[in-house]
Amino acid sequence: MNCEIARAMMANNDPGLAEHLRSCQSCMIRTHARYYEAPAGLEEKIRLRLRKEAPAALPWRWMAIAASVLLVASLTWNLSMLRSRVDPEQALASDVVSAHIRSLAGTHLLDVPSSDHHTVKPWFNGKLDFSPAVKDVDGFPMLGGRLEYLEGHPAAALVYSRRNHTINVFTWPSAPGKGVEETQNGYHAESWYSDGMAFWAVTDLNEEELRQFVALYRK
Amino acid sequence: MDSERKQALFEQTVMPHLNAAYNLARWLTRNADDAEDLVQEAFLRAFRSFETLQGQDGRAWLLAVVRNTCFTWLKKKGERTAVEFDEQMHSGTDEAPSAEAVLLNEAALGSLQGCLEGLPLEFREVMIMRELEELSYKEISEISRVPIGTVMSRLARGRKRLQQCLEGALR
Repeated sequence: MNCEIARAMMANNDPGLAEHLRSCQSCMIRTHARYYEAPAGLEEKIRLRLRKEAPAALPWRWMAIAASVLLVASLTWNLSMLRSRVDPEQALASDVVSAHIRSLAGTHLLDVPSSDHHTVKPWFNGKLDFSPAVKDVDGFPMLGGRLEYLEGHPAAALVYSRRNHTINVFTWPSAPGKGVEETQNGYHAESWYSDGMAFWAVTDLNEEELRQFVALYRK
Repeated sequence: MDSERKQALFEQTVMPHLNAAYNLARWLTRNADDAEDLVQEAFLRAFRSFETLQGQDGRAWLLAVVRNTCFTWLKKKGERTAVEFDEQMHSGTDEAPSAEAVLLNEAALGSLQGCLEGLPLEFREVMIMRELEELSYKEISEISRVPIGTVMSRLARGRKRLQQCLEGALR
């Protein structure tokens, strides 16, 4: 029953409609009782609840996304750590420059004041488990030597001068590495490796004279 | 059933009958807010037991869930949901609408809503399912879990009561 007659009469405002509906209660209900349609938003509410209800549907996809996010985050983190990680040579340069500044700031520049490497070299005997190469360097008179502690072990500090400038040469046994030139806080440092030893020369001298010193020292 | 497929199938076979679900719940509860809550609950229940649909008509299946959800709620609320006598035994007492029935006019049509809402639940539900959802006797009998004969007698008595209510409204 689709109540076509009743619907047509309604559409035309037919005065006979009431009479017709009296004879057909079904038509009366179908054409005049309220059909409640779902309020706006109910469908979305239901979908939302169903989505929560079916978490099993999501895990693989979501876990894959989560894994990707974690992977990217971890890669980014590691890359940034790698990039920001202080270059060990640079860290060492900082230590060496600090030691140089300390030696000048305090009263402890020399344990063994001597311009003679034959005096300085034996002084280290028994104080270090290695024998530092102590050299005379032309144009850079030696002032003496002292004990230092660098990179977690004892080191020899050999002190040279040029005019009123001081040059500290730090040396200790080390596996060979790459030599570097560093400038920190106006101090220049240059490192090199030779005969199983690390050497760091630090000074407030200009770079040109430092290079000259290093070249002579390494001769 | 694969969970994604279940959602897609549910969306296809059940979701389109949201209006029918709401209409039935609204007529059973006679309250918009309760109807909305119960429809949500019914959809959740339907989704959980979606496997039991098994090729039936999605609308009738969903309406059965809505009807059960509403009846459970109405019972909890203390509303009388059971019919205290067997209508089939008493259906003979119902008479067809009298020929002298007062002529329906616009006023009577206006009271239609109130008269339908005033019908006892067991008559209201079959009337709504039959007249507004246009379900078959068989479908109604399955949804309401009563024999087809009971559906028919409830429909007859419901119509009679509605008629009386409409006539009463005009006096």
